[in-house]
Amino acid sequence: MTIFLQSLLSGVLIGGAYALIGVGLTIIFGVMRIINFAHGDLVMLGMYASYFLFTLGNVDPFVSIIFVFPLLFLFGAILQKTVINKVLNALPQNQILLTIGIGLILSNTMMLLFTSDYRIISTTYSSGSFRLGEISVSTPLLLSFVITAAVTAVLYWFLLKTDTGQAIRATAQDRDAAQLMGVNVKRMSVLATGIGAGLAAVAGSLISPTYYIFPQVGQPFTLKAFVIVVLGGMGSVMGATVGGVLIGATESLAGAYISSGLKDLVVYVLFLLILLFKPAGLFGKSRV
Amino acid sequence: MSAVPEPILEIKSVSKFFGGLAANSDVSFTMDEGMILGLIGPNGAGKTTLFNCITGYYPPTKGEILFKGQRLNGMTPDQVCKLGMVRTWQKVRPLAKLSVLDNVVVGALVRTGSVPEAREIAREQLHVVKMAHKADFLAGGLPIGERKKLEVARVLATKPDLLLLDEVMGGLNPAESEDIIQLILDIKKRGLTQMVIEHDMKAIMRISDRIVVLNSGEKLAEGAPQEVVSNPEVVTAYLGEAHV
Amino acid sequence: MRPSPQSRGLALLPVVLGVAAVVALAILPKYVESPYALQLMVLFFLAVIQGEAWNLIGGYGGQYSVGHAAYFGIGAYTVIVLLQSKGLAPWWGLFPALLLAVVVAAIVGSITFRLRGPYFVLASIAVAEIFRLAALNWKQLTNGAEGILLSGIPPLVIGGAQITDFSSKVPFYYMGLALAVVTVLVTIWFQGSKLGYYLQAIREDQDAANSLGIPLTFYKNVALMISAFFTAFAGALYGLYVGFIDPQTAVGLDISVQIVLTAIIGGIGTVLGPVVGAALLVALSEALRSNVLTDLLIGSGLVDAGSGIGQFLRDNLSHAHMLIYGVLVALTILYMPDGVLGGIKNQLRKRRSRAAAAGGAA
Repeated sequence: MTIFLQSLLSGVLIGGAYALIGVGLTIIFGVMRIINFAHGDLVMLGMYASYFLFTLGNVDPFVSIIFVFPLLFLFGAILQKTVINKVLNALPQNQILLTIGIGLILSNTMMLLFTSDYRIISTTYSSGSFRLGEISVSTPLLLSFVITAAVTAVLYWFLLKTDTGQAIRATAQDRDAAQLMGVNVKRMSVLATGIGAGLAAVAGSLISPTYYIFPQVGQPFTLKAFVIVVLGGMGSVMGATVGGVLIGATESLAGAYISSGLKDLVVYVLFLLILLFKPAGLFGKSRV
Repeated sequence: MSAVPEPILEIKSVSKFFGGLAANSDVSFTMDEGMILGLIGPNGAGKTTLFNCITGYYPPTKGEILFKGQRLNGMTPDQVCKLGMVRTWQKVRPLAKLSVLDNVVVGALVRTGSVPEAREIAREQLHVVKMAHKADFLAGGLPIGERKKLEVARVLATKPDLLLLDEVMGGLNPAESEDIIQLILDIKKRGLTQMVIEHDMKAIMRISDRIVVLNSGEKLAEGAPQEVVSNPEVVTAYLGEAHV
Repeated sequence: MRPSPQSRGLALLPVVLGVAAVVALAILPKYVESPYALQLMVLFFLAVIQGEAWNLIGGYGGQYSVGHAAYFGIGAYTVIVLLQSKGLAPWWGLFPALLLAVVVAAIVGSITFRLRGPYFVLASIAVAEIFRLAALNWKQLTNGAEGILLSGIPPLVIGGAQITDFSSKVPFYYMGLALAVVTVLVTIWFQGSKLGYYLQAIREDQDAANSLGIPLTFYKNVALMISAFFTAFAGALYGLYVGFIDPQTAVGLDISVQIVLTAIIGGIGTVLGPVVGAALLVALSEALRSNVLTDLLIGSGLVDAGSGIGQFLRDNLSHAHMLIYGVLVALTILYMPDGVLGGIKNQLRKRRSRAAAAGGAA
């Protein structure tokens, strides 16, 4: 029972960061109907940004999100305007290949610039933990989960309560109708990509104290983000939030009960099963 | 009338629900071999849904469809096509990056494994629709009138017994429509059975042996063209608004 | 319209050129002994095989599998594992390897071909990742992340006569050439066959294809099985040639991307597209690896050898081929979505239609 609770808790805590990554992917997909295969590489950029802010500027990784979000927001927005925008009406396969290409460019550029060495951020609390009855709780994971929850709350507020947020949701629901209602759809696409990139990078910053940082670290996150988004229903922010936590928990439990090497494999098998039997996701509805 | 022939198509109380919404409810009619049946009704009456049910795109929620005495429920579109029933699309669907000839070859291949033989069949069908001179053009680059004719040539190449034509005159100018009307009458002379969805009342009156009127998913009336036109219910439901 | 004598003459020309090219390639090792040149040619042949194989399902069928590394890996691992741990000669090991790849393709196809567009792409990646993780974790069989180093290939003896002992690159050269020629011939046959017509119809419009009597999943599956067969064959050849395999280099996502790239750069849905793509990619990675490109930049005076940039390029460009691949994918999709040959073909067709239209009007 202790093992179960222990892995469930760690899974849920890491699931918070997964949720942010998934939400970013789902917003981009919702607004542009493009699946971003470079998403994990945006997570990687966030990790590096926090790493350099920490080593060069002594900025705590959790604090660094204040800089990382706007930085990657800008990066995403520029990427949308200059490249992704050109394939909005292309075949889905070509859109996917383009973002795969962007991902390769990002990870391999980082490798050229900073080598493929593994880097770590060692804060005072990096390996800290405290006990809660029989269970040990990792301090950085708990902190990151709390911040994730706060970021998610702000995001929901933005999407539900602000005019811009509602315009993004309208675009995601029906691009043509939104345009007819006077929504600047092009601007929403730029914004959505910026927000998606920013969220992915923030997730990267939040897990940076507990992960190795290297140029290829993003790839598994891309795949995990798909699983999360498909699980929650493509385009659904709520679904991606729940999906992230579920995948975090599943992975952690599979690691504890099957084998830590096979936990990703379990997640991919689950992914195929969902695609086949519940293609609209576990929660049925498939929009923001 | 001599011995009553078996109907080629029997639609028996077919209903199709999407969620709680009835797109077709309790529709029944039959078609005899060689006839042209006009299927009319206002937009959203469930004509295309009925086509989709008949040709296997989705199973009817209730009811039964018999083609040449065989039950079609649960069959896929390709199986239905092999049995000899094939449809065209309201919004034409050319295989854009293939040549006109190759589009028709794809249709012909359902009856033969030999590509040269299929090419022969395809060339014949292009002659039938008077498009032989366009054989080497890319299908995606054709104007709408020729795309519609290409659709007809392509389904003819599958050697069907029953053709379902979904608004093959939609968006055409009068001369092009006249071409299609002649084509449909030509096809009839060759003994093929046809079900035609069409909005142009003059055309449908000219070509149809019988007309079925759908309204809100239900069959409103059925009969010879003149009967149907003089049916007061039909006039109010449909002709009143469309017969400007 | 009957083919005019001229056009029949034109149809003969590619055959003559093709035969001449194959003959030239077949006698090349008699004159070129440089292992370096042979190495490049073997890599080129391997890329041709993989590109042509993917082209059948991806290019003609429009089913963009980004998971062909699964079949490549199955071919490589089965042959190598059977050889290394059971001592089974590779020409026997090929049978179970290819059979396994085809069976896996049939199963994977039956499951994933119900999905369309991006969902199919995602599923194909997930399948390949499952195989990579299996190779990584099934340590008794695959030796995990450390990979398997081949200790040797037994000599091939037929009827008492030793054909080759695999000590040089020449036998691999001929195997690669033979298989590359076979895949090109299979593609030519495929293009003119019912199967090829049906796959192209599926690529253009699945619903329309279905209404014309094409059972979609069946034909996609047949094409995928042929594709998997040759991809696994290439994998086996690669494993034997390099003498070392591990999960990343035999089943990694990079392999899948490279395979797709070979086909799309040359032009999908054309017989020679993957050949062109393979030539470009192999030449480019080699130019990067051996610093030819850097030397060229410096030699042309664009970059100063002594400068920081020159030094940086010399140090780094040699392992930047994945970066260049990324740039190539992006550029191809943005500016040349039909690839090199596809672009040429479109131009020719446009000109021909224009000529035909002018002829019709006259």
